Amino acid sequence: MGETIMVEVAYARPDEQRILELEVDQGTTLEQAVELSGVLDRFPEIEFESAKMGIFGKSARRDRVLQERDRVEVYRPLIADPKEVRRQRVAAGKKMKKGGDT
Amino acid sequence: MLSAILAISLLASAFGALLGFASIRYRVEGDPIVERIDQLLPQTQCGQCGYPGCKPYAEAIARDGAAINLCPPGGESVMVALADLLDRDPVALEQEQRAPGIAVIDENICIGCTLCIQACPVDAILGAAKQMHTVIAKECTGCELCLPPCPVDCIVMEPIPLELEGWIWPEPPDSIELSAAAEQPA
Repeated sequence: MGETIMVEVAYARPDEQRILELEVDQGTTLEQAVELSGVLDRFPEIEFESAKMGIFGKSARRDRVLQERDRVEVYRPLIADPKEVRRQRVAAGKKMKKGGDT
Repeated sequence: MLSAILAISLLASAFGALLGFASIRYRVEGDPIVERIDQLLPQTQCGQCGYPGCKPYAEAIARDGAAINLCPPGGESVMVALADLLDRDPVALEQEQRAPGIAVIDENICIGCTLCIQACPVDAILGAAKQMHTVIAKECTGCELCLPPCPVDCIVMEPIPLELEGWIWPEPPDSIELSAAAEQPA
């Protein structure tokens, strides 16, 4: 047993969101932390094998070694198809808004 | 005579030494007034005051004498508390106070562009590129900074659902029948 680090595992649905804090061994991977956190028991709809995961808003590989205070996130797929939405917006003649401006 | 001078100077040097010791031993790091102002602010980090966050605004109030009425999320109560703390006169709020709300993402429209995630000052949106974005209600401060960047306008502010812990007694109606009572001489 080496040193331990604090990490968070988060999952969010519109109706319920959870951020679980847990203490893991140094060298724990993203995938292991998700399994250890119990988030899979709490939200049985997560398909562990296929779900995309990441850290702080960026998708990451499952074997990524965690650092202190990382927030591991389990994502859900999109409902809308971005390309389709874009096509509709062009057809509707709406101006594309670039990010960042107000 | 001589003993009196001696006694006084002895006392003076003793107290001087005590004060000198205290100023070193109990030295206050940083500016405590900034901390106290910062504690009064709502910590939404929304930047609606024109400063990058609550702490910079607190510093501006303390050091540069910035106005105390620039915090829309804090509203009147924060402004009054600041006036109280700083011994300044209360001033009317610069912007109109809005009902507190939290952001909600319409999942049918969200295209997973991450622009709102980058805009969120408190990491209250969970998601990644081409993955569904979800607002973590507990973390959301209702600052509305995520609304303008969204290219598909899928974020709306919704009033905070009424729950037991947040419930307060509703305010009495504005035009209470005082005037009506006054106009009716008995």
